[in-house]
Amino acid sequence: CVDSLDDYNIDTKNPTKVPASTLFSNAERNLGRTMASSSVNLNVFRLYVQYWAQTTYFDESIYDINTRAINTNFWSALYRDVLRDLQEAKTLASADILTSNKTKANQLAAIEVLEVYTWMTLVDTFGDIPYSQALNIDTPQPKYDDDAAIYADLATRLDRAIAALDASGDSFGDADLIYHGDVASWKMFANSLKLRMALTIADVDDAKARTMAQQAAPNVFTSNDDNAQLNFLSTSPSTNPVWEDLVQSGRKDYVGANTFINRLTSLNDPRLPVYFKMKPMTMTYVGGVYGTNNNYNSFSAPGAALEDPTLPGVLLSYTEVEFLLAEAAARTYSVGGTPASHYNAAVTASIQQWGGSAAQAAAYLAQPSVAYATAAGTYKQKIGNQKWIALYNQPVEAWKEYRRLDAPALVKPTQARTDLPLRFTYPVNEQNLNTANYTAAASAMGGDLVTSKVFWDRF
Amino acid sequence: QSRTLTGKVTDQGTGQGLPGVTVIVKGTTIGTSSNSDGSFSLSGVPTEAKTLVFSYVGYASQERAIGSDSNFDLALAVDNKQLSEVVVTALGVERTRNSLPYSATNVEGSDVVKARNPNFINGLSGKVAGLQVRQSNTLGGSSNVVIRGTKSIGRSNQALFVVDGVPISNENTNTSDQRTGRGGYDYGNAAADINPDDIATTTVLKGAAATALYGSRAANGVIMITTKKGRQGLGVTVNTGATVGRIDKSTFIKHQTQYGGGYGRYYEDPSGFFLYRDVNGDGVDDLVVPTSEDASYGAPFDANKMVYQWDAFDAGNPNFGKARPWVAAENGADTFFQTALTTNNNVTIDGGTDRGYFKLGYTNIYDRGVLENSSISKNIINFAGSFNLTSKLSSSASVNFSKIDGKGRYGTGYSSTNQMTNFRQWWQTNVDMKEQRAAYFRNKQNNTWNYTDPDDLTPIYWNNPYWTRYENYEEDQRHRTFGNVSTTYKVADWLDIMGRVTMDSYDERQDERQAVGSTTNDGPDFYQRFNSTFREYNFDLFANINKQVTEDFSIRGVIGANMRRNFISNVRARTSGGLIIPGLYSLSNSKQLLSPPSERETRVGVDGIFANANLGFKEMIFLDLTARQDKSTTLPKENNTFFYPSAALGFVFSQLLQDTPWLSYGKIRGNYAEVGNDAPELSVYDIYNNQVDGQGNAITTFGGAPLFSVPSSRNNRALKPERTKSFEAGIEASFLKSRVGFDLTLYEQRSVDQIFSVDVSRATGYNGRFINAGEVRNRGIELTAFVTPVRTDNLNWTINANFTRNRNQVVSLFGDLDNILLANYQGGVTSNATVGQAYGTLRGADYVYDANGNKQITLVKNAAGLPTAAYYRQTASANNVIADPNPNWTGGLANTVGYKGVSLYFLLDVRSGGQVFSLDRFYGLATGMTDETTQNNELGNPSRSPIVRNADGSYAPSTGGVILSGTYAPGTTINGVDVSGQTNAIRTSNTNYGLYGYARNPAAGFVYDASYVKLREVSLSYALPKSLVDKVGAFKGVELSLIGRNLWILHKNLPDADPEEALSSGNLGQGYSSGAYPAVRTVGANLRLSF
Repeated sequence: CVDSLDDYNIDTKNPTKVPASTLFSNAERNLGRTMASSSVNLNVFRLYVQYWAQTTYFDESIYDINTRAINTNFWSALYRDVLRDLQEAKTLASADILTSNKTKANQLAAIEVLEVYTWMTLVDTFGDIPYSQALNIDTPQPKYDDDAAIYADLATRLDRAIAALDASGDSFGDADLIYHGDVASWKMFANSLKLRMALTIADVDDAKARTMAQQAAPNVFTSNDDNAQLNFLSTSPSTNPVWEDLVQSGRKDYVGANTFINRLTSLNDPRLPVYFKMKPMTMTYVGGVYGTNNNYNSFSAPGAALEDPTLPGVLLSYTEVEFLLAEAAARTYSVGGTPASHYNAAVTASIQQWGGSAAQAAAYLAQPSVAYATAAGTYKQKIGNQKWIALYNQPVEAWKEYRRLDAPALVKPTQARTDLPLRFTYPVNEQNLNTANYTAAASAMGGDLVTSKVFWDRF
Repeated sequence: QSRTLTGKVTDQGTGQGLPGVTVIVKGTTIGTSSNSDGSFSLSGVPTEAKTLVFSYVGYASQERAIGSDSNFDLALAVDNKQLSEVVVTALGVERTRNSLPYSATNVEGSDVVKARNPNFINGLSGKVAGLQVRQSNTLGGSSNVVIRGTKSIGRSNQALFVVDGVPISNENTNTSDQRTGRGGYDYGNAAADINPDDIATTTVLKGAAATALYGSRAANGVIMITTKKGRQGLGVTVNTGATVGRIDKSTFIKHQTQYGGGYGRYYEDPSGFFLYRDVNGDGVDDLVVPTSEDASYGAPFDANKMVYQWDAFDAGNPNFGKARPWVAAENGADTFFQTALTTNNNVTIDGGTDRGYFKLGYTNIYDRGVLENSSISKNIINFAGSFNLTSKLSSSASVNFSKIDGKGRYGTGYSSTNQMTNFRQWWQTNVDMKEQRAAYFRNKQNNTWNYTDPDDLTPIYWNNPYWTRYENYEEDQRHRTFGNVSTTYKVADWLDIMGRVTMDSYDERQDERQAVGSTTNDGPDFYQRFNSTFREYNFDLFANINKQVTEDFSIRGVIGANMRRNFISNVRARTSGGLIIPGLYSLSNSKQLLSPPSERETRVGVDGIFANANLGFKEMIFLDLTARQDKSTTLPKENNTFFYPSAALGFVFSQLLQDTPWLSYGKIRGNYAEVGNDAPELSVYDIYNNQVDGQGNAITTFGGAPLFSVPSSRNNRALKPERTKSFEAGIEASFLKSRVGFDLTLYEQRSVDQIFSVDVSRATGYNGRFINAGEVRNRGIELTAFVTPVRTDNLNWTINANFTRNRNQVVSLFGDLDNILLANYQGGVTSNATVGQAYGTLRGADYVYDANGNKQITLVKNAAGLPTAAYYRQTASANNVIADPNPNWTGGLANTVGYKGVSLYFLLDVRSGGQVFSLDRFYGLATGMTDETTQNNELGNPSRSPIVRNADGSYAPSTGGVILSGTYAPGTTINGVDVSGQTNAIRTSNTNYGLYGYARNPAAGFVYDASYVKLREVSLSYALPKSLVDKVGAFKGVELSLIGRNLWILHKNLPDADPEEALSSGNLGQGYSSGAYPAVRTVGANLRLSF
């Protein structure tokens, strides 16, 4: 009878116990893919910053978020597929009695760094989000926390993680898809992330930004080799999602946007031939009109480098770090060097990262329109314009920095459904499933609109 | 002294002899039954005997005065479903209709198969109040069978099918992607494996009181099928028939014929409509159609304009290298459909003696669809027999073996394998279908109209439609055996004990493929196979009690136990990264290392004990009591037992009014019942799993690193059983010698403590978790009525009508949650269960209206601040209720006219209300597919022409574009003047996605009323007169019928599609139409011979 069938309701094909490292790897993979993706269902920020224009189907370029539930997908990917697995990895790692305490501490710190990274990305994208009550199935309707308060807590957590990382010990080994268990690299990544966090809040809390930047600066990335990135592989399902969209699908959805290509052209940017192909049957680079239909063959398509399935998915780069240091120096933070020296290092690193030579970089920087001293605008504009060009492979950060630095000057297309988004509206299912908290958060944000600003976006 | 009476009993309708008719001398036990040709001989009749009674199941009994006659030929008429009708109830217990205190509807087997539908389920549509059957237009597609509304939020709402005691699931194995319109095949539901010609009667048990004995699985109602039994003597019946079908063009898109391929004026030539390439090498650029563009917002057709089209680049094509006039296709998309053909052949041999009977049948149904290279063939063998070993002990067995082979089932949803998505949403109206066909068959290559570019002849979004049909087809096979063995021992006159073992077992295989050379939009080329085994065993032991205690008081009852065991095991494996050798479909032909196959195995055990008592008093008052307790393995052990009772009372008030001549029969009845249900398997304990990629492959490693994830749904160790509580009251009556009658039922069902995976904020790290919560209420009215305006010996005319009105409401969900998401569809549309609303409402973006109900308009301005276009304002949120898919009411009206051997029958099937969102219109209007997108504006100019302004900025008389009707949104200014609320006067261009489709309108703009009135079935049959049949000699009966199905949609409001067409059966996809297949009008003939 039924009472003797105890095993009937046991899933015989799935495990009930797994090593913590398998969840850590899975979270790294999901995070790397989400940040790299060019899917119109998930990561549309290459469009928002006008690197690319769409050819036939241009709904996302005119900021249609609803039809493909892009905000929902981005939110779910980070909460469910990254943060929840990291949280579980943390629980399992803590409970693992076979791992030495030193290794365990490093593992937990590495998880913490990735969590902080992911939370920051969520705040940067939505503003107020569920945080203190999130990731708890017993609280199915978590309240939203203030975006600035979340950042403050993340800063504390990041400091604790930095302190806990002990380069003399081990971590996750090869299960760590980013640094293969190298704790020293994690420490640099954590400090670089702290530097990013510092500059992100600089417009709203200069004193704290200064302290954090100065603490972090001595221990940040020093070369492109230090980049925090997911090294995609050439075989499915470990390929770069950009390759899946541009090559594997056979679709021709994207061409370079005129906004971006015109800028690269006017600056004689050596990255132009890497970033884009020439217009078919010509020797010129022509960008499509952003926000309307474009004939694929009349414009420059994304370059061959983006058609490589092993193109890394970058979470945080040395180039970005140098731009942050340049900005810190410009803000008179004591981070060593000058705005110009860091700016030059950033641009050089970016050009080299895309296969250019030091000489090309030097020639490029020698141009009055590029040289820090003579380039047009405020320090924010100088840095913002070049950072925009350099973050081509970091679309999520590029959109954030565009909003924060207010450079370059982008114009919304005529057919745009809304103004250029300064954040994502909350997912529809938050409106349905977490109504009271959603309503409170929407009002705290000044309305659940794409034009409401995240706390650090003062200008 | 006695004498012998002889005679022959025939069917009044067909004139055929009726075997097995009971002939009895009234008031005695002297009787016999008619033999195989209907004749009888009754000896030993006392001379004082006055009356003979002729009775036969399903026919009105007749009495004949004996007098001095010794020969009695008479014709029995089919009974009008009252009084003496025998109804098979739960567990196969036969009862007379008058003793039933709950609603049960019988449909004769011959009525089910009247229109020779290869899927018998569809033959029930429109015939039973309270039963909603929604058919699919795909070949072999699943039918949604729901009785009395949607009860369960997250679990199946499909009725349970029971064939001679064997429960048969009506679930399908379609993927959730398929059910939410993201592509895949509809493999149909397993209940369609039943042989239509083997059905004697079908009984629909609707409420919980009727089904409580079946336990938890019957909460959604039961469709009981009793197969034919052998009759005395030997009989052979042969049915042979064929039908042909053509699409109903009112349910298919009619493309506009004024503009060709392209999205607008932004390509290479000076007009902007064409590519501009020097194709013929004369140094002058030529016009080339933008082959990559899957829309028809291109250049206006002009027979004088010579354009290079796809065929000019297809090497070997007769038109290779040639330009051709720019005109609409001569052979449009509707020529893609072929004539469907179904042949249906059945032989049944049956026979019996007083010791037992047997039946052996073979059926072959071959079904060729309206798409090329599509077919389903069914071969069904069934055998049943019973034998009375002694006068007390009898045994019976039945077995059904079926083999279903499918090939080229239709692709569904939004997918490159579904040509309907292509024709309805993304198409160039200049593409000639016959030329595409010829191009494919010339060299069997993917010579598509949709080349990436004239310089890159790979398909970009769409394959050649024939390539899709002939290269990317699926194949499937299902071998199934179901049946039972049982033994009954008659302990006493009033008690027998039955033991029975039933089994339903099938093995299924589904092969899917995408050939090398296809578009890779949905992923690289692949081969995938899915193998599934299904086993269900039931062990029943029960005692049947039937005792007339006193003259007035009778008791019937059942006490029993049931053990059920289910095993489902399946494996899905798919190649990775493409195929190495084109045309080889094996897993080893994977370009990259094969991802591990995904496996799933579930086991369920349920033990039940039950008892039932029917108490009858004076054939007038009937009381039914049932109780059942189940114990299920799917629930946590400490909470796995659940008990539920039912009580029902019937009062045949006509028994008190026997001297009221106009009242033939009358009964009122009422009942209350509860049914418990267990949890879905594997929803109690937590596990870890692998995520899956877009192709459904498990992601198990990254490089060398193994991966695991926390599943997106959280299980629950505290689940308890869910419950459905049902109340029903009814009255049935017939008048004027049962020439007129009705049956009215009111019911309410509340399903509480439902177990489902409730959606939670994704910020929890989950999509949902299993809980007990929620209540869904269904209230309804069912009315069945009949009238026989004419009933004479030769002419018989009956009208049957039924009407159902069900009101469904989600009463509560979980905590203060007021909405959960059931499914996410393309187009920014979601399906929801919302407190206070009917189940399954669709949400999406809506228009914004002003106080007077006008749509608000927003303006687009140029750099100088002048308005250049006006568009409808849309809600920022996609969370507005835009459609309710539930019908207001449904009904059926059947007419049967019989004149001598000729019988004419037709059935109207009606659905009123309910709404459907059309993704086909959402995209198809944006891509310029139909006449609506080409109409002239109010000035009589083509709306697609450019907007032309005079020097002062006013519009020129020749201007194109359209002035959308609506008023300016608050805050709108023109030249600095606030014009809020004024009527729009700004023109908008009708190019580049136009004005009518999704690009300019919210999802709410594509919601349509889903009502229809269909002429569902027509049959005209003619039974050869007996005199003629007798001359031929070999036959006992010959019947020829002409039949038609879905001949005419008299009324509908959804343009270019069938409002009934849906993606799949089940809870998902209701009210969502995408890549819809046209309805098929079917006509045919059937010949029935009995020997």
